[in-house]
Amino acid sequence: MINAFLVFNGQGQPRLTKFYTQLETSIQQRLISEIFTLVSNRAPGSCNFLPLPPLLAASGTSSSSSSATEQNDVPSLVTYRHYATLYFIVISTSTESPLALIDLIQVYVEALDRLFENVCELDLIFNFETLHATLGEMIIGGVVIETNMERIVAGVRAQGAVAKRPVNEGSRGGGGAGLGAMAAAGFQGMGGNFVWHGR
Amino acid sequence: MFEKSLYDLIRGLRNHKGNEKEYIQNCLKECRSEIRSPDMDLKATALLKLIYLEMNGHDMSWASFHVLEVMSSQKYHQKRVGYLGAVQSFRPDTDVLMMATNLLKKDLASSHPTTITLPIAALPHLVTPSLALSLLGDLLPRLTHSHASIKKKTVVTLYRLALVYPEALRAAWPKIKERLMDKDEDPSVTAAIVNVVCELGWRRPQDFLPLAPRLFELLVDGGNNWMAIKLIKLFATLTPLEPRLVRKLLPPLTNLIKTTPAMSLLYECINGIIQGGILGDGEDFSAREEVASLCVSKLRGMVSVNSDPNLKYVALLAFNRIVTTHPMLVAEQEDVILECIDSEDISIRIKALDLVQGMVSSDNLLSIVGRLMRQLKASSSALAQQQNGVEDLDDSSDDGSGKRAKSQEQAAPLPDEYTIDVIGRILGMCSQDNYANVIDFDWYIDVLTQLVRIAPPPRTRALDSDSLPSPKPAIDISEKIGNELRNVAVKVKAVRPAAVRAAELIISRLNTETVSSRPVVAGALKPLAFVVGEYAFQLSSPDDTLRNMLSLVPRADYPEVLATCLQSIPKLFAHVAGDDQALWTPERKSSLSLLMARVIHVLEPLAQHPYLEVQERAVEFIELLKLTAEAASGQAPSTNEIQQDAPLLLTQAIPSLFAGWELNSVAPGAQYNVPIPSGLDLDEPIHSNLGGLLSQADSLMLPTQGDDEFEVYYNQRPAPTSISSGPAIERLVDAPEEVGNSYQQAGEESYLDADIVARRKAERRERNKDDPFYIPDMSSSRTGTSTPIHNILQKENGPDLDIDAIPVMSLDLEKLSISGPSRQQQHHPRQPRQKIVIEADETLGVSGGNSGVSTPGARPGYDSENNSDSFNLSKAAKKPKQKSLLQFNSSVLGGLSLTDEQQPDDGFAHERQQKEEAEMAQAMREVQRLRLEMQRANERIQVAQGVPVEGVAVVKKKKKKAVKADEGEGQVVKKKKKKVDKEVPSIAISIGCEIKGACLWLLMSSRDQGVCIYSQAAHL
Repeated sequence: MINAFLVFNGQGQPRLTKFYTQLETSIQQRLISEIFTLVSNRAPGSCNFLPLPPLLAASGTSSSSSSATEQNDVPSLVTYRHYATLYFIVISTSTESPLALIDLIQVYVEALDRLFENVCELDLIFNFETLHATLGEMIIGGVVIETNMERIVAGVRAQGAVAKRPVNEGSRGGGGAGLGAMAAAGFQGMGGNFVWHGR
Repeated sequence: MFEKSLYDLIRGLRNHKGNEKEYIQNCLKECRSEIRSPDMDLKATALLKLIYLEMNGHDMSWASFHVLEVMSSQKYHQKRVGYLGAVQSFRPDTDVLMMATNLLKKDLASSHPTTITLPIAALPHLVTPSLALSLLGDLLPRLTHSHASIKKKTVVTLYRLALVYPEALRAAWPKIKERLMDKDEDPSVTAAIVNVVCELGWRRPQDFLPLAPRLFELLVDGGNNWMAIKLIKLFATLTPLEPRLVRKLLPPLTNLIKTTPAMSLLYECINGIIQGGILGDGEDFSAREEVASLCVSKLRGMVSVNSDPNLKYVALLAFNRIVTTHPMLVAEQEDVILECIDSEDISIRIKALDLVQGMVSSDNLLSIVGRLMRQLKASSSALAQQQNGVEDLDDSSDDGSGKRAKSQEQAAPLPDEYTIDVIGRILGMCSQDNYANVIDFDWYIDVLTQLVRIAPPPRTRALDSDSLPSPKPAIDISEKIGNELRNVAVKVKAVRPAAVRAAELIISRLNTETVSSRPVVAGALKPLAFVVGEYAFQLSSPDDTLRNMLSLVPRADYPEVLATCLQSIPKLFAHVAGDDQALWTPERKSSLSLLMARVIHVLEPLAQHPYLEVQERAVEFIELLKLTAEAASGQAPSTNEIQQDAPLLLTQAIPSLFAGWELNSVAPGAQYNVPIPSGLDLDEPIHSNLGGLLSQADSLMLPTQGDDEFEVYYNQRPAPTSISSGPAIERLVDAPEEVGNSYQQAGEESYLDADIVARRKAERRERNKDDPFYIPDMSSSRTGTSTPIHNILQKENGPDLDIDAIPVMSLDLEKLSISGPSRQQQHHPRQPRQKIVIEADETLGVSGGNSGVSTPGARPGYDSENNSDSFNLSKAAKKPKQKSLLQFNSSVLGGLSLTDEQQPDDGFAHERQQKEEAEMAQAMREVQRLRLEMQRANERIQVAQGVPVEGVAVVKKKKKKAVKADEGEGQVVKKKKKKVDKEVPSIAISIGCEIKGACLWLLMSSRDQGVCIYSQAAHL
């Protein structure tokens, strides 16, 4: 199962947090900052999987003595992808397929790109409701329910029109947070090192 | 005034860089008032802003009631915000949740699919057992909704309901199964069901065997890779139960492996084959052999050097799963796996380490540990460099160059957690099976010495400083290393002198390297103090060690460490002073008096230490030494005429205290095998008023270190941390010299500090001095050509003749001959194993077994307090029992059987639920009736008093429970809730708290009612 889906930018500012188990706000923030520390120290060309952050490792899989079935309930895998200015993180248990999760993030970003047309970080900042809606079309309660792009986009559109970012925002320069077109360039692959032929 | 929209908030945040905190506080204040506003739009906007701020870490639990209000809005876009707020902010302790039951029921029955989706999607985040119980009946019909998207979401939500309320699954499973079996079902619904079944499957695989034919069908012609992956995972849990499945699965899986273009599916196929035990032995041997080699070769390809790092990682994951069942298959891949230890990617490294730990043997231990040590060394030097660099950056403000330096650096400093983990693994690998894999203990001692230097300091203990007498700080890694050294010293007699000298060196280094005003935090001190005390006779310089210990004792941080150090001081003292052969000369007398005075001076402050163990030992030794000092001063020194013996107290009594038996290592749990003497009653209190005494002891004032700390803080300058001088360029170009040979056999120079290497070389030289087969390294200046032949020729022909210039066929002696120690090291693994006796732990009786490891599990009450020497054991004993963060608890499902759907229990639960629902409905009708009655009475009063008919306004007031005290009507409204309770006490009792939910439901849905009341009032 998927335990959490997070999006934050290169400064560690959260853009989307979705925890599929209830968790105190302060602990959520600690977890985010721990993951951010891990993710921002990745060497280019590293794999898309993070070691468990201390918060999860302390109580989680480090005790190898617990039975194999118990392990399936414990978050044991942190997958991430980096697009332009944003990091997308999935925390999941061992019952998910690691490579499929990489694809799942890709589907999510592509869906956002379809919805916003050439999506960038600003779109996501100002429309975080749409972010939630899109995620809600893909994952419910930690279980993946849809991976088909058309259906996801249609599902989000059925809930109402998707707003574009405020028109003047782009021209004003937006206050400095670097925006990059994530869509085309970002999709070509993480850091340009390799192209992922998933699915 | 204008209210801020979410846009304004975000824009404002971006425009207030620097003083965001203040801005956010202002916004929160505004939101607090806006969310109380009666205007629903304003309320919803405020909530949206709060949700945004919550994402950034600002608590909004106080707003949970307002979340409910927005959830109950009639407008979809507001409702959506409300539900989002609930999902993001409700926690297990949010108490307004029980009021939401009826709202959720209502929305689940809505006619708009988008509205139905909201509660379905939110429920997994909110659900509690009671909520699950009451909503199950509303959720089940949604499984047959006309919209596929609602169906698939419902399936998942039912699964999450079942996690907290397993009975839900019993009711839902037949319907879910029906959906799964239906071949005309929307494929995305089927996929969602497969995902859920996969989650359920590993808990109770036997219940899902009957589905196998349908699942197989889906696998073969599903055409959906996502679903195929899940199906394969599911089958991997089913095959162990039904071996016949294997034959069926092999062809399609092999086919997939050979044809699929999707790497993820390929990987899961391989993983599934291995995990499902399909590789195991069976009748159709040749086919399986083929599959096995296919899988393993694919995995090997994934791990190999040039592969995509993601594939490397997942292949290691797969190996980690295989290694428990098929260790041989993994062992064959040792070469590629070992390469992964040196990967620059920490994730890959850790996974490789997990694997390697199980593959250690005496042949590869040296090289594996060598690799790890080299990493640690590089990281710790990089860290030191970076720390210097940071200081440097502060003044130069040349940010760019600093970053460049960092990126150029080959080894970025590793995180402390990783370092600790790796050190723990090194110790674990070496100490496995009572050091079965360690061939060369001198090497091991050197490794330990190096590790003590590398080990990161423990976390700051500022937090628990007030709980000073707390007996056991978590064993830090440095202590574990020290324990290893102590174990070697105790167990391996052959290398004891070396171990003792190593301990001596470490202690002197601790003393000199740590700043004298700072406390010593290295936990290694404790076991090392034991070693130098117990084996004082093997120290090279007991006097220096005693002096070092004396200066370390006042700075020891943990009371436990202190207690052990205290014990070692009189041992050392006894060795230094207790020589009964030496003459009792005036010099000896005066120097010993001085020494005793010094020891007493150090121990004296500790006589009042809050930790009893420390206090007791300190008091004992002080008194003993005072006596001895008296005796010594009373004994006249021998002169030329009269021979005087040293006082017997000094030469006999004190040494005899410590010289009884040799201490050997005792198996953990051996203590329990000691028979209890017949006369001993353990339940008898030691003292009749023990509790009183203890509480008295607790209330004793701790000695105030305040003065000292005050002094230290204000009057002593902290020693400057080394500021590197020299041109920056030197730090920029720091070529990693050892990288070149790092792929070869371990060169110890690359991970041991220079001084350790030098000592090692010297020792080796000494050892091989008389060995005719060993060609010593003549002089460092003439490396390369320092062969005996060369020397002879040079001597014969005189220095003028340049022998190298003579054109003979070049005999490359460098390559052929042995050129010094580094070459010799490489032959280590091939050396015949030294005959080293490693003593096993001592134990008593038979229950411990011969290895002496009487399992801690068999003795539940046993706390690993005295056996910190067994690092593995204490690790196991500390196995965390608490639930992990983010963990789903699906264990409840394990006890639920799905196969007997006709259990009487099942029908009963459903019946009971229906009964409860009926009761609830009846209660609601009753409440509604009473309410309407009151309303009518109320309106009659209003009309009678000539108040303009304002039904809607009244309702609103009631909702906010804000009462206007102008007329009697307000009081009626205020009392309403109480009155309802009073009038229907029987209902209130029978359905408990649900009445509250009902009342609030009335409050919430008052909007529609307001209209209805209005019309009624008009009729009147």
